[in-house]
Amino acid sequence: MNLAIIVLIVLFSISSFFFARTKVKKIAISNQTKLNALPDYYGFYLSLWCALPALLILIVWTIFEPSIIKAFIFQGISGENAQTYNNSELNLIYQQIKSFHFGYFTGTITEEIIRGAESYKSFLSIAQGSKIVLLATIIIFTTLYALKKILNNNKAREDVEKIFKGLLFVCSLVAILTTIGIIFALLFESIKFFSVINIFDFLFGTSWSPQRAFVRDASTITAEEYADLKNAFGTVPLFAGTAFIALIAMIVAVPIGLFSGIYMAEYANTKVRKYSKPIIEILAGIPTVVYGFFAALTVGPFFREIGEKFGLEVSSESALAAGLVMGVMIIPYISSLSDDVINAVPQSLRDGSYAIGATKSETIKRVVFPAALPGIVGSVLLAVSRAIGETMIVVMAAGLAANLTLNPLESTTTITTQIVMILVGDQEFDSPKTQSAFALGLTLFFATLVLNYIALRVVKKYREKYE
Amino acid sequence: MVMINNKVKIKTTNLNVYYGDKQALNDVNLEIHSKEVTALIGPSGCGKSTYIRCINRMNDVIDICRVTGSIEIDGNEINKKEIDVVSLREKIGMVFQKPNPFPKSIYDNVSYGPNIHGLAENKVKMDEIVETSLKKAALWNEVKDRLNEPGTSLSGGQQQRLCIARAISVNPEVILMDEPCSALDPIATAKIEELMDELKKSYTIVIVTHSMSQAVRVSQRTGFFHLGKLIEVDTTEKIFKNPNNKMTQDYITGRFG
Repeated sequence: MNLAIIVLIVLFSISSFFFARTKVKKIAISNQTKLNALPDYYGFYLSLWCALPALLILIVWTIFEPSIIKAFIFQGISGENAQTYNNSELNLIYQQIKSFHFGYFTGTITEEIIRGAESYKSFLSIAQGSKIVLLATIIIFTTLYALKKILNNNKAREDVEKIFKGLLFVCSLVAILTTIGIIFALLFESIKFFSVINIFDFLFGTSWSPQRAFVRDASTITAEEYADLKNAFGTVPLFAGTAFIALIAMIVAVPIGLFSGIYMAEYANTKVRKYSKPIIEILAGIPTVVYGFFAALTVGPFFREIGEKFGLEVSSESALAAGLVMGVMIIPYISSLSDDVINAVPQSLRDGSYAIGATKSETIKRVVFPAALPGIVGSVLLAVSRAIGETMIVVMAAGLAANLTLNPLESTTTITTQIVMILVGDQEFDSPKTQSAFALGLTLFFATLVLNYIALRVVKKYREKYE
Repeated sequence: MVMINNKVKIKTTNLNVYYGDKQALNDVNLEIHSKEVTALIGPSGCGKSTYIRCINRMNDVIDICRVTGSIEIDGNEINKKEIDVVSLREKIGMVFQKPNPFPKSIYDNVSYGPNIHGLAENKVKMDEIVETSLKKAALWNEVKDRLNEPGTSLSGGQQQRLCIARAISVNPEVILMDEPCSALDPIATAKIEELMDELKKSYTIVIVTHSMSQAVRVSQRTGFFHLGKLIEVDTTEKIFKNPNNKMTQDYITGRFG
């Protein structure tokens, strides 16, 4: 139904484009006046006014319709019944009514459900009708408004510009609001979690085993139970594991990525650069799952064999294997971005350095690199966030045991991996175990934020601005 | 009549330069005299800049560039593979069209050259080099209290003088200037011209310029290039008062170019 409405609106909008275009041409000829803009702009103006407000209303309507109907149904159920229901019971009845209406309800059909389904049906058709009436009215009004403007020879070029500006603003607003929404969702769930588990126990506890937490209702926890609980949610091993694996990845990726970026930007001739850059960038396109099983099936066992030869005990799921493969995955981010920023350093600076007798490597070290530093740090930062956020490789290659260790040959785990483990499968959303995933996400978010902030400050202090 | 009362510093014989298939310089034979200002004039794209970039082998930076013929400095051939461009460029400084100070402090801009060539054994010596270079470039008084500020914070004219200070910090014998005043206002230009008058006492200067009046003001000898060929070279006075070649005459009187 909605699709049909959208198609109709679009068709109407397209035809109004042609209508407006020919209309203003005719007027211009018959009145001997000069148009304020090209005829196309009048077309755009009318068609945008015709389609945009209606589509906007349609979107808002579609978002709010179900919850409004639900509210009416709830009222109906509670109104006619002496029995009072709590919220979750109401929800259950609503779901039953809905599935009965669509014809796939299995279970005992009660009088209540049948009546509910009837009113659900009538609410739906009322909504449908009023939606169409509302949209039609809006289209008629906006189109008439725009038509009047056009007939008065408005400055359609500037007006279309304004509409586009508004459209772009709305798009960026959506992006920002979504981000804020996600942060708040994280925040609220985390607050619930922290009402059960003390934030200090969460941040500084050294033992992580959330599967031990069976508690559902926070108010019933005794002090004894809590003592046990707080040992289930200590995140220090997770943060240590995340930092450790990210560190191994960066030790691999930063030198290789940076030096290959410098090679491509400064030493490679155009031909080599033309072919090698896309090849390196292909590395970035490999799905992380592929890296993951490469790490788990090839690199991990390889390290174990080597370790055995030297009499070392190497777990086949090791931080080293995961970090190494993650580093390889990140190389293209660093090399490609640093290549770009190095290229952006003006040639005149290099000329100045060469002209005074500096060699190529001196020029790179003393002039090009400091000038490109902000961009290079930016690329490294991006790589660090990738390394911290990477999940798949760790799940497959580094293990799940939350060991607090600095031995790269042992298995370890990261925050993101644990979030996956917590949320995989059926979950109750009111258990601290599930909520801890949100708390982990929030903490990770803050950690990355602080990291970025510090790095930006450092760059600002040491950068050499060339413009 | 060319008066040769001066020692020849740079001599090019049958110098040809190609960018890919395109020939940019065609059999240029030119002598540049020691401790004089030689101006190279000519319409855009005539090869003046290409010519001076041959002298310090800056064309090496361009992949597709090929240079044939002989370039001698003090009688030593420099257009051959074995020559060490690093020490060549230490001897032959260059100032570019657009001021290009490094994004470092004023002090570091000047100390850059002495640093990489190891000319100062300690900080005191380095301070001395920086001070004399800035003084020679007539910039010392303006920047002596702000040596730690970035070079890019200076005005255009000051930046260009900083670049001159940077070039003379390694004590070169020759300074090549590629339209050094084209991005500057008249006052800054006047200061640089004044400076060149002073500098020619100790350095051999080759300047590429589009301004005929500048050539007259600063140079002792002038060479006129056209379409990659050296049309005429003589004392500046002769070139601008009574040139031998009709094309030179037409160019300096503004009939073409």
